[in-house]
Parts: sequence; structure tokens; C-alpha cells
Amino acid sequence: MLWRSPATVALLLGYPILVALLVAVALQTEGRQPAVALVNLDTSGTSVRVGQQRLSVADYTDRLAEEVDLKPLGPEQAQRELEAGRVAAIITLPEGFVADLRSGLAPAQVILTTSPRQPIVAESIRRRLEAAVFRFNQSLAGEYVANVIALVDLVVNGGDLGIFGRSVEAIGLVRARDLVQEVQATLRQRGDDEVADRLDPIVTFIDGAAANLDLARPAANAIRSPIELEVNEEARGSQPLSAFGFAGALVVSLGLAGALLAAATLSGERDENVLVRLRRGLVPAPALVGGKVALTAVACMVVGLVLLALVALLTALAVGRWALWLPVLLLAGAAFGAFGTLIGAAARDSRTALLATLMLSVPLVAVGLIPNSAPADVVAALVPFGPAFDSFQTLLVEPEVPTRVLLEMGHLALLAVAFGAAAAWVLAARPT
Amino acid sequence: MTAPSAPLLRAVGLTRRYGDFLALDGIDVALSRGEAVALTGPNGAGKTTLLSILAGVTRPTDGTVEARNGRPGWVPQGPSLYGRLTTAENLRLFAALEGDADPDGLTADLIARADLTGFADQPAHTLSTGTLQRLNLCVALAGRPGALLLDEPTASLSPDQRHRFWDWLAELRADAGLAVLFSTQSVDEAVRRADRLLVLARGRVAFAGGPEELASGAASDPAQAEAAFLRLVSDDGP
Repeated sequence: MLWRSPATVALLLGYPILVALLVAVALQTEGRQPAVALVNLDTSGTSVRVGQQRLSVADYTDRLAEEVDLKPLGPEQAQRELEAGRVAAIITLPEGFVADLRSGLAPAQVILTTSPRQPIVAESIRRRLEAAVFRFNQSLAGEYVANVIALVDLVVNGGDLGIFGRSVEAIGLVRARDLVQEVQATLRQRGDDEVADRLDPIVTFIDGAAANLDLARPAANAIRSPIELEVNEEARGSQPLSAFGFAGALVVSLGLAGALLAAATLSGERDENVLVRLRRGLVPAPALVGGKVALTAVACMVVGLVLLALVALLTALAVGRWALWLPVLLLAGAAFGAFGTLIGAAARDSRTALLATLMLSVPLVAVGLIPNSAPADVVAALVPFGPAFDSFQTLLVEPEVPTRVLLEMGHLALLAVAFGAAAAWVLAARPT
Repeated sequence: MTAPSAPLLRAVGLTRRYGDFLALDGIDVALSRGEAVALTGPNGAGKTTLLSILAGVTRPTDGTVEARNGRPGWVPQGPSLYGRLTTAENLRLFAALEGDADPDGLTADLIARADLTGFADQPAHTLSTGTLQRLNLCVALAGRPGALLLDEPTASLSPDQRHRFWDWLAELRADAGLAVLFSTQSVDEAVRRADRLLVLARGRVAFAGGPEELASGAASDPAQAEAAFLRLVSDDGP
């Protein structure tokens, strides 16, 4: 009967595509950097030498630009842009910023002014800049520590020491100990043991100093990086974040459209008073439900394949495994359909059925997308949206597929049968 | 009027409870070939409940229903059709669901007999009330039933549509020997269109007999028939 209602067909095809597009747009927006004004009041043009590097204000702002979209502006213009909402915050580098960095007497300050009208964006910027400042401080600390370790090495092993542009040779503790011991040996050959023995405390001091300075190296390294985060990623398919987003978009669009379609077809027959005729033995309740479930499964498969084809053609996301997508989409559609049919069977009319389907499906879809939450996992396992999301994500992300997908397909089939049986029972028990 | 013969539809001791409410209390009904029986009574008397049990839509709490020549045709109060399908498509679909060997032939026959030729390719939701009710009746006939159950079939029809509807039903009874049980709120319609009357009140049979018996031989006088009906269904009635 669908072909008699072009508007319904258009809605059936257009709604999931529209939802998928909106989710895709939302995901793209998430990756966009917020605009932030940069007011540089340090016009000295000086730089500071740290280890082997010479750092200027430009080096610092380059690091910040990795986190936000920096727009260099004057103080007044930056304030106007903030008030107009064209930038979400102002970063000010005060006068003497590099001088403070060079002297080390007081920490160099960066001032962040955020807009009270954009509290969520402001919080995001604050966290991004905290991360950027922390990373910059770490790299500076690394340079300082490397400098200290080089000096320790010079004290222990000796080498060239640059002072006021001149190179002076430092002998170092190792060489100093050798020299003292050579002097002691010479004195003892001359029979002047008493004087030689008086030099022993110097040797002991040199040994102690060298031993302690050897400990300084690991200690300095520990200060440079007290805790290191090592990220071990399992072997994964390409672009797991995009795949996560697209799997979510598929579940939202197909899940809602499928459940609504099934609920509408069954409750529509009740509205048209046709169920009265069909239920008189013309069509048994399981067959009535089965027809709606099959229609939804096919519709979800077609729409799902169209969406996948569009993604494969228009984006960089790798979509493959078409032979597995076919049964997965069919089973997901059947489970969505059975879920919708149960609501359609229980509802008094179409409007109630559609409203109830939306009110139940939207939170349940959200629960299905929440990862690793014990109560949510239990609820998600009892409705088709969670298992469908898992199977979509597995096909898009996991490099090794079959066993896991087979289990997820079994889960979807089980839910389709359970909800379908419940719908048939309600349909048979409920007065028409 | 056609004489009653072996019942095509027989119900014995039909009782239906909805919780504490007794909608039907031990009703017996028999419907013979070619016979027209009117089911009347005040609102809530149990007319629709009785018809829906006889049609197999509602299960009785107690009692039995036996139908010969397959299940009876069923015309519920409102149209029960797929509004997006055309007249012909609705008929073809229900003929196929009824298991008819030649759904196309039966569809063409019903369209011709109901004078629906001009509406064959028109979606059902665009039809007028009278045409829709004729199509509703045709769908009920798609199973080639021996008996027909109609729930207030003329309630929404204009006088001329009502007249044509009864004429066509009379033809069907005469041609195919169709047994008809119809409910109506109109005592006049019941008296004029039925061979027998079944008056329900408070879930029980208040009267069963011919139209002339209702008003002691004055069935041709609508006022007397209505007065007799009111006496039967009043709280102090039998």
C-alpha cells in the first residue's frame, strides 16, 4: 500500500537520510576549533634561550594555535569581537612576557578572558589552553633539565665550558681524581707518605661527589617527566571516531524510522478498521506481525545500503564487507520492526502509537549508544538499538569480524523473535 | 418474505462479560437461508457485542456459535477498508485473503452487481459515504458467505442511499438466498425490512418474533410499533 502514498515513501526514505546527515554535520562541528582573539602586548621582539633552543612569542603562540583558531587583534578590537560573539575568548600575552620567561623570577603569565554568553565553549577553550600550557611547560622543563644534565656531565667528565664568549677547559671530577692520585704516587715514591695521606680526603670527596652526581641524572629525568602516559592502541580499522559516529547515525536513523514504520503500519490498519476484518481468521496475528516485520526489515536494508553507499562514495570512511551488511541490516530492521509492531499492537490508534514509539525509542537509542555503563548495558541488551549499534560498529571498525558479528546477529534475531511474539500475543489478546 | 429453512448460523447461550458488567446473558439466535432478521434495542443493549461474537471478532464468555457454508460476511459499523487502495484493489485483496479461486473474476462481478464500475479505480478514501458503504458490503461478500451480519449499515446514509441499499440487499437475498442479520436503531426500518425481529434490552432478549407480533398485528403503523418497542425496553418492561 506504500506506493499509494508517495509522501509516506518520501518520508520513509528521507527521514533516516536527514537524521544521518544531521548527525554527520554534528560530528564535523565537533572537530572545528573555536575562534579566539590573541592580544600580544609584548612587543619587545626578544627571545629566550632554553638549552639549545631560542624561543620567542611567536613560538609560544604557534603552540596555542594547535588548540584554537587564533586571530591576532588589538585589545579594543578583541573586546568588541568578544562582545559581538565573533570570538569565544581573548588570550592576552602581557608586556614583559618573554622577559619573565627569561628571568625565571616569576612565572610568565597568559591571561584568558572568556565570554559569559558562551559558557560551554569557554570551558572547552579553558581546558584546551590548560593542556597547551601544560605541554609547553613540559617541553621547557625538558630543555632546562637537559641543560642541567649537560652541566653535571661537564662537572663529572670535564670538557669545554663557554664563559663570556671564551672557551675554557674544565677538567672534571674523573680527571681531578686521577691527578690527585698521580700526585700521591709521586709523593710516596719520594718517601713523603705523610703529605700523600693528607690528600686522601680530597679523593674521598671526589668519589662521593661523582657518585651523588651520577644519581642527579635519573632524578632530573624523573622531574622532567614524573608520569608518562603510554597509549597502546589495539589494531583497528581506519578512522574509529568517524566509524563510531556513522554507526550512531545509522542506529538513530534506521532505528527510529524502522520502529515508526512498523508501529504506523499496524496502528494504521486499526485506524482504518481493517484489523476487524483481518482478525476474523483471514490473517492470523503472527502472520500480520510477520508481514510488518518483514516490510520494515527490507525498508531498513534498502535505506541502510543507500546510506552506506553515499558514505562510501562521498567520504573517506572505509566501508566494505557488503555481504555481511546485508544480513546485519535485515536483522536490525526486523528487530526494529518487531519493537515498533509491539507498540503498534498495544496502542489505541496511530497517533498514540507514533508518540509512544518516539517517546520510548529516543531514550532507548541514547542508552544503546552510551558505552560501558552497567545499568545502561542491561537495558541496551533488551532492546534492538544497542545490539544494532554494536554490529554496525563492528563492521565499520574491527579488523577481525566474523565471530563477533555472528553473535550480534544472533542477538538481533532473538530480539526480533521475542518482540514479534509479544506483538502477536498483544494483537490476539487485545480487543479490536 | 422467504420462509425460514435449516439455519445457516446458530448461536446458543451466548454470554459475554466485561469484568462485572454482563453485556450478553444467554442469547440464542438462529438464521436461516434467505431470512432477514433485525436486531434492535437501546444503546448498550448488546447489539454490537452479539454481532461481533457471531462474526468471530469477539470471543464469548460462554455459549457456542455454529456456521454453515463458511464464516458469515461481516459489515462493521464504519468502513473497514484500505483507504489508499482503489475499490477494485480492496475487493481483490480481500477475495484473495478469503481464499477465493478467482479473485479477479469475483471482483469484476461484485463491482458490476454493486454498480461500482465508475469507482473501480478510485481510492476508497475518496468515495462518498453511500458508495463506501456499498464497497464495505462488497468486501463482506468477497468470501461468498451464506449469511451476512451488518452492524447499523444505514446509520450514516441519506434516505435515497438507504433506499438503494435495502433494494440491493433484497436482490442478494432473493438471488443467492443470503441470510441477513442487521442491527438498527430504527424500529420502523426493522419492522419494514426484516422477516423477524430480535429486541435486546440489558443484554437479554426482550422480544423475538415477527413484525406483526411486536405491535399485536399493527406492524404497519410505525407509531404503534415504536410504542410497543418502548414498552419492551423500558426498565419496567418484560
